[in-house]
Amino acid sequence: MTEAGTVKGQEFWRWQEYHRIMPKKWTNKDLITAGVDVGSVGSKAAIMVNGEAYSWGITRTGSNSPESATKALSYALEGTGLKASDIKYIVGTGYGRVNVPMANKAITEIACHAKGANYIWGPTVRTVLDVGGQDIKAIRIDETGRVTSFLMNDKCAAGTGRGMEVFADLLQIPIEDIGGISLKVEKEPEPVSCTCVAFAKTEAMGLLRKGWTKEKVLAAYTRAMAVRMANLINRVGLEKELVVTGGQSKNIGIVSRIEVILGVKCLPMPNWRDEGSLDPMVAGALGAALFAKALYEKAQKA
Amino acid sequence: MMNEPVEKRYMPEVSRKEIDELKTTMKAASQKVMAENIERMKKADPKRPEAMKYFDEISNLFGKRQEEIAAEKAKGKKVIGYMCLFAPTELILAADAIPVRVNSGWYDTSKLGDRVVPVEVCPVIRSTIGAKMIELSPFMEQSDALISVLTCDGMTKLGEILSDYKTIWGMNVPRIKDSTQSLRFWNDEIKQMKNQIETFTGNKITRNKLKEAIELSHRATKAFRRLQELRKGSPVIMGRDAMLVNQTFLWDDKLRWTQKTEALCDELEKRAQRKDWVCSPDTPRVMITGTPMFWPDNWKLPTLVEESNPQGIIVADEQCSGERILNDPVGVDEWSMDDMLNAIGERYLMASTCPCFTSKDGNEDRINWLLNKVKDWKVQGVVYYVVRGCMLYAMEYTRVKKALDKINVPVYYLDTEYTREDVGQMKTRVEAFLEMLTARVDM
Repeated sequence: MTEAGTVKGQEFWRWQEYHRIMPKKWTNKDLITAGVDVGSVGSKAAIMVNGEAYSWGITRTGSNSPESATKALSYALEGTGLKASDIKYIVGTGYGRVNVPMANKAITEIACHAKGANYIWGPTVRTVLDVGGQDIKAIRIDETGRVTSFLMNDKCAAGTGRGMEVFADLLQIPIEDIGGISLKVEKEPEPVSCTCVAFAKTEAMGLLRKGWTKEKVLAAYTRAMAVRMANLINRVGLEKELVVTGGQSKNIGIVSRIEVILGVKCLPMPNWRDEGSLDPMVAGALGAALFAKALYEKAQKA
Repeated sequence: MMNEPVEKRYMPEVSRKEIDELKTTMKAASQKVMAENIERMKKADPKRPEAMKYFDEISNLFGKRQEEIAAEKAKGKKVIGYMCLFAPTELILAADAIPVRVNSGWYDTSKLGDRVVPVEVCPVIRSTIGAKMIELSPFMEQSDALISVLTCDGMTKLGEILSDYKTIWGMNVPRIKDSTQSLRFWNDEIKQMKNQIETFTGNKITRNKLKEAIELSHRATKAFRRLQELRKGSPVIMGRDAMLVNQTFLWDDKLRWTQKTEALCDELEKRAQRKDWVCSPDTPRVMITGTPMFWPDNWKLPTLVEESNPQGIIVADEQCSGERILNDPVGVDEWSMDDMLNAIGERYLMASTCPCFTSKDGNEDRINWLLNKVKDWKVQGVVYYVVRGCMLYAMEYTRVKKALDKINVPVYYLDTEYTREDVGQMKTRVEAFLEMLTARVDM
């Protein structure tokens, strides 16, 4: 992690691409499945061994969805000793789900995040907020991870990961530090009135000129995003336990504000930086890999 | 009252050159959309009924029907257009005039409407204004007068705006329908409309003429109901096909439409006997309710539902561009002129489930319609379709959702615009909803 504004020409919006292998072994007898989640901003691929998370890779989505899917899957396979041909069934999900060339089937990210949240946090989860690069979904699920209802924001990047990237660049703060920095204010400022990515920039510039600190501007913007997300959760109907998935689950500024506004605590976030820990950003890909297992087994029985 | 006001109160001046250019481009684009919609409908059902050929042809807004109406007009017939289903078409038919509905389903022209009204206004209204601006709609252009019913805010002002071009007859609809004074008031509006139509066409609406017109619409309703009946069981027709049949009634010749629909039903009944389903009988059964969905561009949602993965099948709707057109017959007891006029008044007012109504029970009739449809058509999920700016439908959603929650039927609120840009996002929503319905069965 770099200090804010230390590197010239640094791309502040760029978040960490990484891959992880969980400490377990596989044999030829195991059922290997995969989920590939091509989002508007990030592409995630997860490999499961008998329905248990084994490895994953997270990369930035390029202009070409099939390429991004391939890249993410190769990244997930890296160092595992597995080959693409070892994977029995692949489910594609995310905005680019129909453009995942190796997928056997496409399932929406809504169903996959629901399933993935159930996998990461267990059967007590009832409400999932998925904050992706370009949209926000509030999903109600049952104890098996099945969707019972959902809401999605309209076609606008306000309050999403992409909006945060714009801010990281504008304020020259690395994206991964944004959440923490937004909390470094003595008193929470009023949320900005407009969360529109296009206009928020102008509004933020105005606030900076007025002498607001970066922290305060970030707090006001993050607050506005959190309000929007909390509204969506309220509209779908909040039932405990609540969890946050997607790229913005890593933004502590967002998550803690949602908790304050809604008056509930989210289930503890796994610390994705720790080896051996799951990452809510790959919830969709994990859910997809679980569906892949179920679909493969169903096909075997038939 | 005579038309062609000298000064336009709303519409901007648009040069003939611009009108011609825009009309040429948008007409070409629309023809492409219609052809593509029909191609996709054909693909969806490889054994599509023979009788659908007729409806494909008549659905061409720039085709055969336009020519027929032009020929009738040349012989002296009047064309009376309307924007809301409340227009009493039996009176128009009884005066030997041609009724056509003229709301626009073109996305492109909504951007032209933006020159007259703000973008916050419902796109159905903006698009209809835009279509008029460049003379795109053959049926609107052929209309000698327009009946403008004051239902929602958009419709109320639409007539006023179109009066820059056309003779407009306003009809004032009471917002509380279940009271004797409302019905009395509305029946007076109907009688007034009868006089207006008679004077305008120069044709007297006789008892016999009106009886014939009502009987014709009874027969059409019967054919329509037969088609809907066939959608109750395992699917023998794609929802989009049935929706197209229903909507073409708005501009087609009423008798011929009825005969063709009867022929379609004959085919479908045989198909049902053969158990030759258009899709697997366990395909989730979907109903659409909300904002009217006008051909051709608004086939976006039905296409997404029926081409989705997992697939859905539309078995019913509650829309004034769909089943509401023909669902209710004019209930006549004695065939006296008075009785017939009162029956027409009652049918158009009392049977309507338009969200412009309220009362101490609210729009209870709409809730009942939806609950009955869900039950009888075995609907598994409802898509509540609203275009942005359609205030009344948007506002009634909460109530509809509560009513459907009670009977454990999922409903999804799908808001969209007169645009193609949101198809990708809509697809995710529709597919997730259908996955949810499917998941109720397996997985």
